[in-house]
Amino acid sequence: MADFDQIIVGEEWENTDVSLLETLDHVLNRGLVIAGEITISVADIDLIFIGLNVMVSSVETAREVLRKREME
Amino acid sequence: MKLYAYCLCANLDTFDKAVTGVSGAAVRVLKVDDFSVLVSDCESIPPTQENALAHAAVIRSVFEKTTPIPFRFGTKATEQQLRTYIASHKAALGNKLSQLSGCVEMDLKIIWRRQTANAPPSKETTGGPGTAFLRKKQRELHGDQQATAERDELSSLLRDELGSLINDESMSLRPSETVVLARVFHLVEKSKVQQYREKIDVLLRNRPELQGSVSGPWPPYSFANIELEFKPYFGVS
Repeated sequence: MADFDQIIVGEEWENTDVSLLETLDHVLNRGLVIAGEITISVADIDLIFIGLNVMVSSVETAREVLRKREME
Repeated sequence: MKLYAYCLCANLDTFDKAVTGVSGAAVRVLKVDDFSVLVSDCESIPPTQENALAHAAVIRSVFEKTTPIPFRFGTKATEQQLRTYIASHKAALGNKLSQLSGCVEMDLKIIWRRQTANAPPSKETTGGPGTAFLRKKQRELHGDQQATAERDELSSLLRDELGSLINDESMSLRPSETVVLARVFHLVEKSKVQQYREKIDVLLRNRPELQGSVSGPWPPYSFANIELEFKPYFGVS
């Protein structure tokens, strides 16, 4: 938990970086989903999307992925 | 030939040719019933940062003229699939566009420092696997109840402050032992964005336990889903 607090409170980004991250977060994590539509193949893209989310979207997404892994 | 879909909106006839789509593809307007879908002719779209930003740029360009329902990055379908989907969900899509019309999304991030630490139930180590399982469930239940209470408290606080400025709200909380991180999306009329920002400033000044920042206006990404099932139209079992 301490690490999480430190990430949220202590990390400072340049405004441009925050703007980029927010844009990517909106594009990757939000918007109308029409399941089964995704490029290449569903399974591959799911994996790629999880990777991108963890990398660029948000701590909350990373925590959610980690929480799900712990439950499995 | 598959189409890459960016967003759906009402009655848009043309698109700015200066804005290119994913993988540098041209963007065109596909008219389906009363709707306009912004699409590119593309078979394969690498999920790169450049393409994600191109997706965002197309939606942003439409957003400057009218209110779009953004598709999530990576949405591809044949023209027939899109036509079938829209024809089958015409009413729901029309209602969604009406709800979003003239509105923008504001992205509010709040760090809420708890006044007192919320102690979870004690983590006793005695007992067998069954006891440990029940204790784990107890902790999860405690966490769920606490999250619900925090969500209600923060939502109430925001509604007290923002009142009728909010048309809709979507909130997610990530609590830790000392702070709660809240991500709140508000649907706000375009004409009220400045008022919204001022109210948030006042709220943050008056509540020292809250730190936050607002970004926007965004296209209404977080209010786009109409929870429709698309699988039957795409042959995915």
